[in-house]
Amino acid sequence: MIVTDVLVIGAGPAGSSAAKHAALNGAEVLMIDKKSEIGAPKRCGEGVSKEGLKKLRIEPNPRWVTKELSGVRMVSPNGTDVVLDDEKVKLPEAGYILERKVFDKYMAMDAGRAGVQIMIKTLATGIERDGDGIIVYAEHMGYSLKIQTKIVIAADGPESRVGRWAGLKTSMKPKNMESCAQFEMVNVEMEEPDCIEFHFGSVAPGGYAWIFPKGDDIANVGLGILNTVTDKTAYQHLLEFVDQCPATQNAQPVELNIGGDPVGGLIKELLADNILVVGDAAGMVNPLTGGGIASGMTGGLIAGEVAAKAIKNNDWSAKGMEEYKNRCQEEIGDSFKKYLKAKDYMLSLTDEELNTIAEAFRDSDFESINTTELLKKLVKISPKALLKLGKLF
Amino acid sequence: MIVKEWCMYCGECAGLCPRNLIEVRETSLIFHEEGCKDCRICIQICPVEALEK
Ligand SMILES: Cc1cc2nc3c(=O)[nH]c(=O)nc-3n(C[C@H](O)[C@H](O)[C@H](O)COP(=O)(O)OP(=O)(O)OC[C@H]3O[C@@H](n4cnc5c(N)ncnc54)[C@H](O)[C@@H]3O)c2cc1C
Repeated sequence: MIVTDVLVIGAGPAGSSAAKHAALNGAEVLMIDKKSEIGAPKRCGEGVSKEGLKKLRIEPNPRWVTKELSGVRMVSPNGTDVVLDDEKVKLPEAGYILERKVFDKYMAMDAGRAGVQIMIKTLATGIERDGDGIIVYAEHMGYSLKIQTKIVIAADGPESRVGRWAGLKTSMKPKNMESCAQFEMVNVEMEEPDCIEFHFGSVAPGGYAWIFPKGDDIANVGLGILNTVTDKTAYQHLLEFVDQCPATQNAQPVELNIGGDPVGGLIKELLADNILVVGDAAGMVNPLTGGGIASGMTGGLIAGEVAAKAIKNNDWSAKGMEEYKNRCQEEIGDSFKKYLKAKDYMLSLTDEELNTIAEAFRDSDFESINTTELLKKLVKISPKALLKLGKLF
Repeated sequence: MIVKEWCMYCGECAGLCPRNLIEVRETSLIFHEEGCKDCRICIQICPVEALEK
């Protein structure tokens, strides 16, 4: 039997952040992951905001940053584009494109340096309450293991099962899970190679398509869709997008990534006695952008600090760790509510409305536009689109 | 459940299974089918159509 204070299940960005901060705050921590290589295969477009990393006090490292970005190019269904420059407009998600396979490993290494024990190729298969602690059943290279712990941090990603083993309602609904497919490609000919690119409309029903440049002629070309609004799979939509998009006419794939991205906002029950849920498993993904690296790591930081405090106070009941819920709501959940509304608005627009809006804003000086002017412009170009916006707020 | 050879073990099906019956290993999927109510969500949402009843 292995005995520890805190067991983190899952060594993605959220789990490594949780493990590191629990250890830095004095807890004995074990982190396990079922994979033989942390970070691989990636399930990610690899975009992360500078602001997000700065808040986490993580210095960008040339070993895992592939590209620094200077703006965003948004493309409507008929190809009309609006380019927002990072110097002029504050863009929360503009930042870096990572090499996730290296980044995730580095985050786990940081946890290791902080004193966390790491076991890879170790799959959690079930949990059982044991007095005021928990026994986690696991498998490692053909051996069955029992891990006795006071606190479990469930950082097991979008396929999360651990929270549900503990009786929490963490399962996602199809309308809240973007189904994603992505190629990493070479020979990509981008109009603005220093910008991340978003394509909206029926090209990706219920979501959007993206091109995230990784330097030279390399880019992640992908999309997320909602299966509740299309009969095709994410992969089929991706093939159509690559076939039609001007930037990918000569592009060739070198990697295929697929996966779910939970975009329904924070789950209601983030904790129970002995359990904290973090990252994708807890819905810590920006509902508008689908980005979950920085928010998941923020949740991880909070979980790590709260778990270590609970160990010090000898109280790992849900009540004793309630601070986790409040801080997550304040630092992550509140902003997600705004993004959920913005997403609902975006998804309510038809291809024609998106085209009209893009055409009207194409040559706008966003630096000097305020909210009133923005609304005035919107009412002029598409009263219907404004009405939809009004209904949401 | 038949898991096709091109399944990439992304786990989207496991996250959406209402009864928590799908175990995603590094290179295999295990369905605990005894509790399955045949809702077929796993089949519908697979990004690469790798599941078949
Ligand atoms: C196609 C796609 C593109 C995306 N693009 C972006 C982007 O550009 N920017 C961004 O910020 N976010 C993006 N996201 C979301 C982002 O990838 C996730 O939000 C992020 O990886 C979540 O981190 P996590 O640590 O919660 O989970 P994960 O990174 O999924 O890590 C979970 C870990 O838990 C392990 N695990 C699971 N179950 C068990 C078990 N039973 N036992 C042991 N280990 C287990 C897994 O092996 C995995 O390593 C994208 C997602 C997809 C699908």
